[in-house]
Amino acid sequence: MDAVTTEIFSQVAPALPYVIGVYAVLWIGLMVYVGLTLSRVGKLEKQLALVEEAFAKRG
Amino acid sequence: MDRKKLTYWALGVGALLTTVGFLLAFLVASPTQMMRTTDSGKGAIIAGSYISHLIDYGQKIFFFHVPVAIASFLVFFFAAYFAVRFLMTRDRMYDTKARIAMEVTLIFTTLTMLTGDLWTRWAWGVWWTWEPRLTTYLIMLLLVIGYFVLRASVEDEEKRAVYAAAFSIIAFLDAPISFAITRIVPAGSEAHPVVIGVPGGLSGEQLAAFLLAMFGMLAFGYVIYQLRSREELAKERIEALKAALED
Amino acid sequence: MAGTPTAAGIKRTSSWRQFKAILRKDIVMELRTFEMLTSMGLYTLLTLVIYQIALSQSGSAFDVRQIAAGLLWLAFVFTSMLGLNRSLVHEKDQGCLEALLLSPVDRPVIFFAKATGNLIFLLIVEVLTIPLFFGMFLTRPIVGDWWMIPIAMFVGAVGIAGVGTLLATISVNTRGRDFILAVLFIPIMFPLLLSVVGATSVVIYGPLDPGLFWRDIGLAAAYDAIMLLAAFGLYEFVISA
Repeated sequence: MDAVTTEIFSQVAPALPYVIGVYAVLWIGLMVYVGLTLSRVGKLEKQLALVEEAFAKRG
Repeated sequence: MDRKKLTYWALGVGALLTTVGFLLAFLVASPTQMMRTTDSGKGAIIAGSYISHLIDYGQKIFFFHVPVAIASFLVFFFAAYFAVRFLMTRDRMYDTKARIAMEVTLIFTTLTMLTGDLWTRWAWGVWWTWEPRLTTYLIMLLLVIGYFVLRASVEDEEKRAVYAAAFSIIAFLDAPISFAITRIVPAGSEAHPVVIGVPGGLSGEQLAAFLLAMFGMLAFGYVIYQLRSREELAKERIEALKAALED
Repeated sequence: MAGTPTAAGIKRTSSWRQFKAILRKDIVMELRTFEMLTSMGLYTLLTLVIYQIALSQSGSAFDVRQIAAGLLWLAFVFTSMLGLNRSLVHEKDQGCLEALLLSPVDRPVIFFAKATGNLIFLLIVEVLTIPLFFGMFLTRPIVGDWWMIPIAMFVGAVGIAGVGTLLATISVNTRGRDFILAVLFIPIMFPLLLSVVGATSVVIYGPLDPGLFWRDIGLAAAYDAIMLLAAFGLYEFVISA
């Protein structure tokens, strides 16, 4: 690559950490929240099944 | 449980769309140029077009920042809509829906602020500046936080729901007004380069990447909303059944 | 009180009379003790003293006019939050609000009466504060015409009183009264304050451009119109909760 092209791309590397940072923030943020909620929902629904069973037995 | 399948499907769609959007944004979309030209003034032919400015890689951030921002506002709208329905019907279900929607708004608004802040750091070298967009979103963040502070400070259930609904409606009206006024009023002073969206026109691939990321975000929003709804529903049923068992 | 007789023969007082009655009650109550006005006035004065502390290190070259508009409005915002809170705490603690709700008064009328009462008190405080502020801090002359300032004051006060009445009615029923009012009030008021400070600043510091001034006033007025409508519509729900 000649000098001009190098110069044209010179701002790419410095920007990279920020761009990756943004993407990471979004993905991690969303995934973590969705993951946590999913696990909470799973536990709750298991508990619900148990309580429903107990209720059905009691009548 | 059709809703369940739909939720998982939406999750998949969301992940897919944002990934494809990501790929498009980085690999396919035409590069955006900065204001700075090369020192010598000469350019080069890159990917078929003549470029003489430095390439702004940081602009890629917009492919994610703006979709979250738009998504957060859209969810805010739904929260206000549920609030209106609640006030009209006094059905507790709407209050729960509104609350969950506001939670999603909180998440997306926070993400908007974080990503916007990262862009600000890259573009202007500071961690914070009182430019229109960041300011407006800060106000929105404060409004949403205020909503939850309000909810936490009212003990009576009925009052809590009514007050929260009233506030979320007025807050939702305030957001676009803030948006407009922060752009118009702080005139004079520094000519802060206000970037409303992606500067200039969007090329075809850029637009595609943007829209994909946009719908991906909305799908995620839907997913979070549905999951939280299921959680609330499950909680309520457990409470009710437990109470019935004790009788 | 004579009123408009309905078909059922029951004399219902007209909305205007209801409005006047409630408003008069608030004003008379205040005239008896001057409690609210004196506390608001004192609070404003104290705020000005604090301003002096803040500006004490700034040296003679510093032109206060640059931030004067902001300082002025800052004083109003905090004083008005105090006033709004007090006016409704009083109502609630004395049971006036409940009594009002039991009587056949139209809910919208309550809103307008309360908001107008708050507006009047706010305007009185503003009228007292402006000369005080000018005397204490503005040694250099203002750039524009002085009569523009009361216009900005009025437009701002209308918004503050209207939305503030709604928010204060909510916050007075919560656990952390003043705190909640502040948390709700400031973000909602932000756009109004921004435009009104902009307008006032044009008059005090410049650039002397009438177009700029009226544009900002226009924005503030638009805010007032939209928010007052919303507050008016929502008040009914809030007060009957």
